[in-house]
Amino acid sequence: MKHRALPTALAAAVALAGCTVGCTVGQEQTPRAGGAAAKKEITFLVFETPNLTPQVWDAAIKRVTDKYPDISVKKLVAPSEDRVSYAKQLLASGQFPDVMIAVSPAGFAESGAMAAFTPDELKDFQFPGNGAVHGKVYQLPTNTQTIPVVYYNRDLFAKAGIGAPPRTYAELLDACAKLKAENITPFVIGGGKDPFASTLAWTATIATDVYAKTPDWMARRRAGSVKFTDPDFVKATTKFADLAAKGYIDKKDVSRDYAATEQAFLDGKGAMYPMGNWFAAAGDDPKRKPSWEIGAFTWPSDDASVVVPAFTGGGLSVSASAKHLAEAKKFALAYTLDTANLDNSVHNDGLYPAIKGYTPPADTGAVFKLGYDLYRQGVQADRVTQAFGWEAGDDGMPPGVVDKWRAAAQDLVTGSRTVDQVLASLDDDWAKAS
Amino acid sequence: MAVDVKRTAVPASATRRSRGPRRPALDRLRAFALFGAPGLLVYICFVLAPIVISFGYSLTNHNPFNPPTRFVGLRNYQTLFTDAEFLTSLRVTTILTVIVVIVPNVAGLGIAVLLDRRGWLYNALRTVFFTPMVLSSVVVSIVWTRMLDDEGLVNQSLRALGVARPPGWLSDPGLALYSIAIILSWQMLGFCVVVYLAGLQGVPVELSEAAAIDGAGPVRRFRSVTWPLLAPALTINTVVLLISAFKIFDHIQVITHGGPGTGTTATIAYNVLQTGLVANRQGYASATAIVMLVIIAAAATVTLRVLNRREVNL
Repeated sequence: MKHRALPTALAAAVALAGCTVGCTVGQEQTPRAGGAAAKKEITFLVFETPNLTPQVWDAAIKRVTDKYPDISVKKLVAPSEDRVSYAKQLLASGQFPDVMIAVSPAGFAESGAMAAFTPDELKDFQFPGNGAVHGKVYQLPTNTQTIPVVYYNRDLFAKAGIGAPPRTYAELLDACAKLKAENITPFVIGGGKDPFASTLAWTATIATDVYAKTPDWMARRRAGSVKFTDPDFVKATTKFADLAAKGYIDKKDVSRDYAATEQAFLDGKGAMYPMGNWFAAAGDDPKRKPSWEIGAFTWPSDDASVVVPAFTGGGLSVSASAKHLAEAKKFALAYTLDTANLDNSVHNDGLYPAIKGYTPPADTGAVFKLGYDLYRQGVQADRVTQAFGWEAGDDGMPPGVVDKWRAAAQDLVTGSRTVDQVLASLDDDWAKAS
Repeated sequence: MAVDVKRTAVPASATRRSRGPRRPALDRLRAFALFGAPGLLVYICFVLAPIVISFGYSLTNHNPFNPPTRFVGLRNYQTLFTDAEFLTSLRVTTILTVIVVIVPNVAGLGIAVLLDRRGWLYNALRTVFFTPMVLSSVVVSIVWTRMLDDEGLVNQSLRALGVARPPGWLSDPGLALYSIAIILSWQMLGFCVVVYLAGLQGVPVELSEAAAIDGAGPVRRFRSVTWPLLAPALTINTVVLLISAFKIFDHIQVITHGGPGTGTTATIAYNVLQTGLVANRQGYASATAIVMLVIIAAAATVTLRVLNRREVNL
């Protein structure tokens, strides 16, 4: 009996391991029966949001794998919106995904972790050089996003006696004052585990007061010829801090995560919601659509000139060390150029695909059209700038500084640090990270 | 006169196990290889080796995205002790640890004393108190985030009671850390209750009865008989809470992301992850991790020694 115990335990362990492997293979849907050739499996890192649900991802992946039956895809889901940090953890632990979506190539590209796309592979993209790192593109420049659009509650505006959306910054402050007088919180922002949701209004003031004047500000910051403490940046930051100081932003909102923030606006908890145009997916969703009408305007500048902060990128990247690199690239391009996926990115995430010859479907919702029209106005007026905090590649901040900037936004909202302190520390953080 | 249970010196001979004839060395080696080596191997691979490797990294400027890696000696450690971010995280972690060591210990002892009875109700209540302990910290964090949100259950209840402007439990930079400490304490409470209950059930009834016959009241019996015999439970709870609180990361990541604002709830463990995996400064992050390890080890050792001194042997 005694002597049988060890072999029995080993046999049980082997059987258990065998079951585990079998289950995994089953999940990977790799055919073994009938002599069919084994599929080449690639891993694909995605992230989930109220708009990008598991069903959305699964259906999108299936369309491509139906087209290329030789590829099977193992979906990896980032534990939060912060898929970039998760990708770094996976890289550090030797599990870097073969394909990933919306992961800024900053750092990954320079270190050789990501594979560059060739000009031929980029021939279908409207802005093939966007997000380049040292001249090479590591992330497919798939979509343009305007960040932010100011969505507003027409009912609350009417209640406060505001007839039309503000065209100048002074009119915006006037509208805020009227809303506050009616006990309506002018701006809805978020934070908590999604600190980006605290920053959108600041991105907007930086667009109107910094990028509109100095479109290559980030390149100059990298070169050291401008600083955060320069007057234009101080002005943009002061505008943002003043909104909180005047009570137009409720400092308690910084603990509310992104999903709850979106819902708060839809529930009428505030009048204006500066957010990326992906909000259209929620605003147009029949299940979530509010009873009141949603309007939209671009963040007003001092002189009423149109400024549209936008970012083109956000697409798929491929690991340079992917076991099946050719298949990974094939999947990334097929996923990106699949018309149904592009249409779905319009419907599900309110994106503007930057693919040559593509036009958004005619059945897009009203909120999508509001944002898209504002973007087209910006394009026609040639007033599209970078969206601060969202840039990628050579136009992006050094690793880690974006997080400091997001935390700084919360410092300004809560009043725990002054504008001068925040901007000086950002210069310090930049120096440390460079 | 009440019976005082004092620390009693136990003769060394009494603790020494009687041994039979020594087995041959080869037998002992074989037994060790069979039963001890696998555990030792796991310990070496997953505990010791990573610590040694981390220490090695801490002496470099390792950044996987910015090669080459160079040896920098103790520079990371020198920088650490003048780094405002690290010092803030040290302060945050210390405050959190002090609260998390004291609150569940005190509350857990009180609840354990109340639950140290027989009956289905007490059994059910024990389960209720222990449930948070078995929940995932992410689940606990999400539930509490919703409850402490400005529109959450807590503030809605306060408003219903007439509080016009209830606190921003997680949005006020001066309050968020204490809110997290309370959440952690709530989750750890069940553990303390179970350990104290086990301790209480190990207290010989005869001693309490003897004290009662000698005229000791309930308070005196608790202070002079029960409390000294709960010393091992106190030691376990304190050391486990100390270590758990000092390395807390997941609640911070899910609830506040280190905020609101810059570093108001960023613990050392959170900073290690941010520095290493967001800012990519993995050499510096390794130095931070090593310092954290040393602090935890030192604090746990001192606590163990101090608390062991007051343990009694019956």
